Amino acid sequence: MRCSLRRVPSLALALAVSSFAPGAFAQATGVTVAQAPQPSAAPRVVPPRIVERVEPAYPQRLLDEPHGDDQLPVAHVELEVTLDASGKIRELVVLASGGELFDAEAMRAVRAWKFAPAQRDGKPIPSRFHVPLNFVPPAHAEPIDPGHDHPEDELPGPDGKVEAPLAVAPEAPPELVDVHGRRMASSRGASDYRVEIGQLAAVPRRHASELLKLAPSVFLLRDGGGEGHADRIYLRGFDAREGQDIELSVGGVPINESGNFHGNGFADLNFIIPEVVGSLRVLEGPFDPRQGNYAVAGSADYTLGLARRGLTAKATYGSFDTTRLLLLAGPENASQGTFAAAEVFRTGGFGQNRDAWRGRAMGQYEGAVGERGSFRLSTAAYGAEYHSGGVLRASDVEAGRKGFYDTNDPNQGGSAARFHVSADVEVPSGSAVYGQQVFAIYSSHRTRENFTGFLLDPQDARQQPHPQRGDLLDLAVTVGTFGARGHGKQGFELGGQKHALELGYLARLDVVGSQQQRVGAATNTPYATTADYYSKLGDVGVYGDLDVHLTKWLALRGGARADLFVYDVDDLCAVRDVSRPSSENPPGDASCLSQQRFGDHREPNQRSSTASLRAMPRAAVLVGPFTGFTISAAYGQGIRSIDPSYVSQDVDTPFAAVQAGEAGVSYAHSFDDFALTAQSVFFVTHVDRDQIFSETEGRNVLGGGTTRLGWAGSARLVADFVDVSTSLSMVRSRFDDTGLLVPYVPDVIARTDAALFGSLPLSIDGAPLGGRVGLGASFVGRRALPYGQRSDLIFVLDAAAALSWKALEFEVAGTNLLDLEYRQSEFNYVSDFSPTDPATLVPARHFAAGPPLGVFASLSATLGGS
Amino acid sequence: MRLLSTLAALSTFTLLGAACIGTTGGELVAFDALAGGPAAHDGGAYAFETGRGYGVRLDVATLHVGALYLNQARPTSVSRDTSCVLAGIYVGELTEGLDVDLLSGALVPFPVEGSGTSERARTAEVWLSGGNIDAQSDPTIIARVAGEATRGGERWPFEGSITISTNRQKPAPDPALPGSEPICKQRVVSPIPVDLELSDGGTLVLRVDPARWFDNVDFAQLEQVGDDPPAYRFRDDDSDQPSRNLYGGVRSSVAFSVSFEN
Repeated sequence: MRCSLRRVPSLALALAVSSFAPGAFAQATGVTVAQAPQPSAAPRVVPPRIVERVEPAYPQRLLDEPHGDDQLPVAHVELEVTLDASGKIRELVVLASGGELFDAEAMRAVRAWKFAPAQRDGKPIPSRFHVPLNFVPPAHAEPIDPGHDHPEDELPGPDGKVEAPLAVAPEAPPELVDVHGRRMASSRGASDYRVEIGQLAAVPRRHASELLKLAPSVFLLRDGGGEGHADRIYLRGFDAREGQDIELSVGGVPINESGNFHGNGFADLNFIIPEVVGSLRVLEGPFDPRQGNYAVAGSADYTLGLARRGLTAKATYGSFDTTRLLLLAGPENASQGTFAAAEVFRTGGFGQNRDAWRGRAMGQYEGAVGERGSFRLSTAAYGAEYHSGGVLRASDVEAGRKGFYDTNDPNQGGSAARFHVSADVEVPSGSAVYGQQVFAIYSSHRTRENFTGFLLDPQDARQQPHPQRGDLLDLAVTVGTFGARGHGKQGFELGGQKHALELGYLARLDVVGSQQQRVGAATNTPYATTADYYSKLGDVGVYGDLDVHLTKWLALRGGARADLFVYDVDDLCAVRDVSRPSSENPPGDASCLSQQRFGDHREPNQRSSTASLRAMPRAAVLVGPFTGFTISAAYGQGIRSIDPSYVSQDVDTPFAAVQAGEAGVSYAHSFDDFALTAQSVFFVTHVDRDQIFSETEGRNVLGGGTTRLGWAGSARLVADFVDVSTSLSMVRSRFDDTGLLVPYVPDVIARTDAALFGSLPLSIDGAPLGGRVGLGASFVGRRALPYGQRSDLIFVLDAAAALSWKALEFEVAGTNLLDLEYRQSEFNYVSDFSPTDPATLVPARHFAAGPPLGVFASLSATLGGS
Repeated sequence: MRLLSTLAALSTFTLLGAACIGTTGGELVAFDALAGGPAAHDGGAYAFETGRGYGVRLDVATLHVGALYLNQARPTSVSRDTSCVLAGIYVGELTEGLDVDLLSGALVPFPVEGSGTSERARTAEVWLSGGNIDAQSDPTIIARVAGEATRGGERWPFEGSITISTNRQKPAPDPALPGSEPICKQRVVSPIPVDLELSDGGTLVLRVDPARWFDNVDFAQLEQVGDDPPAYRFRDDDSDQPSRNLYGGVRSSVAFSVSFEN
């Protein structure tokens, strides 16, 4: 984690890159440098390129000193950089000083940059050039976290990174590119993880959701749901299913779908292209007033950014007849926040019935508003069609009746689509910052799952006699979401310390249609409708957040949030049974009846509306008298709204309410050669209505109260050639009434991501080879299952190795390298998958297989950019 | 340094161990299962008196047990539920059946191990089918009897076989309720009262006393199918009193007893 990047709030950094003086360079190195345009006979010289850039930050010491905002100085520093033929910095000289603090910060940042060397006729050569840097004070200099010498939370997001290309054009005047960073929320303590993807992008990840595993306590499953199915997320001992207990967003655009019958708060992250994720903030627990609905276990926000500039095409082929084509575009003179990406994907899938198609595209444009403001326009489109293997009975596999990667029902699978647009702006004004965002989302999901086989089709007296026809659930959900969020943050001084007050809101309207049917196995046609809702759900949340510094090393942060939920639910299938049906007009096999007792007519729907308000206090104290260390404690309350099926007319909507507390310590420090961050946190969480998986419903349903107690630790080390992130978490989740363990949630989760990278001592045609290796290892302990059982352990090892040469890169990635047959999810419940035999009616072990060894080769080429 | 390493290792193992302690409650169990006739009878002809005053000697009495289940609760008499399977209430099962010679008290094992949970069972169900309990047609012979009944000097040598197929399908009493008499209901013998708790490695014992099948059978109304020697037969339907009552007796829970030994 490049904590050193994250120093200054709303830093406005101006960077200009110019060429060196050619004569001096020639004198010093004995080579000449490119001058465009080049005569055809002249040697072809390619300037050096910045491969990776670390942003300089406005010196914290100046920010910490009492001052009026207009008293902070603007500084200019110009450095002369000399590279050797391998691209390493040989010399760094201050040509124009901006003062000791600014010079040091400029040297620190540029020293961390990675370069591709200049080339002449395709051979790498030494080079020298100038880097001018302008330091502009932030709009409102927020106090840093106590104890953090390089706090992550105060810096502009990846969209604030400087993306000016390194141009070697001696006659050209230095080009100044002003880039304005986005304000980020101040840290809420040791479990407020700001994860910079950085070189850990080298670790193989099939989905952007897997980036969440860079934060501790996160574990993902697909339940055999297939390549296009949303991940089942576990966080801090919560079985958050498809995001129902985690507030998820991308660039501020909500991902959770309110009113989705599969799970209220259902979140499908599959629309995110992993290559355009720059960072994410994972806040484990409801400790920030900005967190809204679904932030029960915590929240995660993806920040998009494309580090690789230019035009890139990447083609992948590998196991299971998997093919992927990815196109990336990042204009050279634009920030990382401006990009376009598109992908098409096809796989035959491992085992039976796991093929999938997918296409997705994302784009974002970032521009300036005034001198220090910025705006972003973003869009995303996604579509997928897939099949899934579902679950198998362990006894069937052990008896050889089924293979480990077989399926019980080939009709399982689904489809998904999402489209969203968003526009946001953030403008500093004096010592205040104002932001506003609007978004519109359309999404649809169809999910076909069969957890129980032939069990849940009881004979009703009014129905024609029938056998068990099959339990396949076919759920279709369509959601339209419209919303806005905004905030204003005002800084002020009191008692010689800087403080800030932020007021903000989120408003969204979700219009949702959910229909769930059961489909006959023999006919593949629906024979019963089990749910049919048309809902309009409103959520208006307001919050106030006060950031008070009692001393330089003691900060109090907190406030309150209140959310008003408004429900208008039309149950289109409100009558499913009638005790004495009409003999003249028998209801027959219809699911949604239009008669009541004695056959009296009624319409089959029932409308309910209600509203509820919930206020949630949240507070954190951060203490850091010692450099690098921050001790923190936090408390907060959060909520999860319930799905429309629980809404009754004029009855207060029941919430799932969570109370959470934690205490921890974090460490962050940049040494000469590496940066180190570490966190350790103990936490406790209580939910009054937890969600427990129901195999008959195919989703989580409301259960009793639960309490979780646990610990999480993590560390990340970043150096010139290595980037390692590791975490371990342990948690006990118990029901309040019985003291028994909550099933399915893992007690122990460990994860390590590591990347080695750098130039190799080899060259082809004079151009050096670059290389990187990524390794990801996941360990999940034995999860508690119903009936006192424990699941198997999970250990999965993924790795990738890549070679780059000029604009080309070749990568080989392997997933589940040990080719272990592992059960990614396990259950104990009743099922009957053999309708011609006597029914199996007692709980038995079921599992969904994790993917076997997969090997994938990729070739990418980049034109232009850096 | 060594001390620190030791402390770190101890802390890690302690936390890991603590995290894995606890249970969700309950237990999954596996058990053996046996079936046989009355315990006191050790083979050969089985003689008994019926409530209607007949002396009966059984030379053949077999029962095909399709499956056996244990429930947590008894069905209520007021239930209008027409479903034969109430998912969620079962705590034990034997899903592969066997043919039991009811003239022998010697117990024979079920072909499969039983499985279940450690929750208390209050009711047992015996399923009398050849497989799919919902199948309209099932040619499996569920019960076979042969023997002789006597009363007042009269003799009724008899035999009979019982199937539960379309021959047992009852018509729906109300056209608005065509599914009120599903065939599966005919194939479930329930409730058989029990009060037991399954445990791993124990043995479930099912005993069936065929004498109870004939409690209400009036042999004098049996269909005669031979004169010399005289022969009588139970029909495989409900068309006469003896056949109807034998079928009712086979489906009566009073003939069954279930016990469990740890």
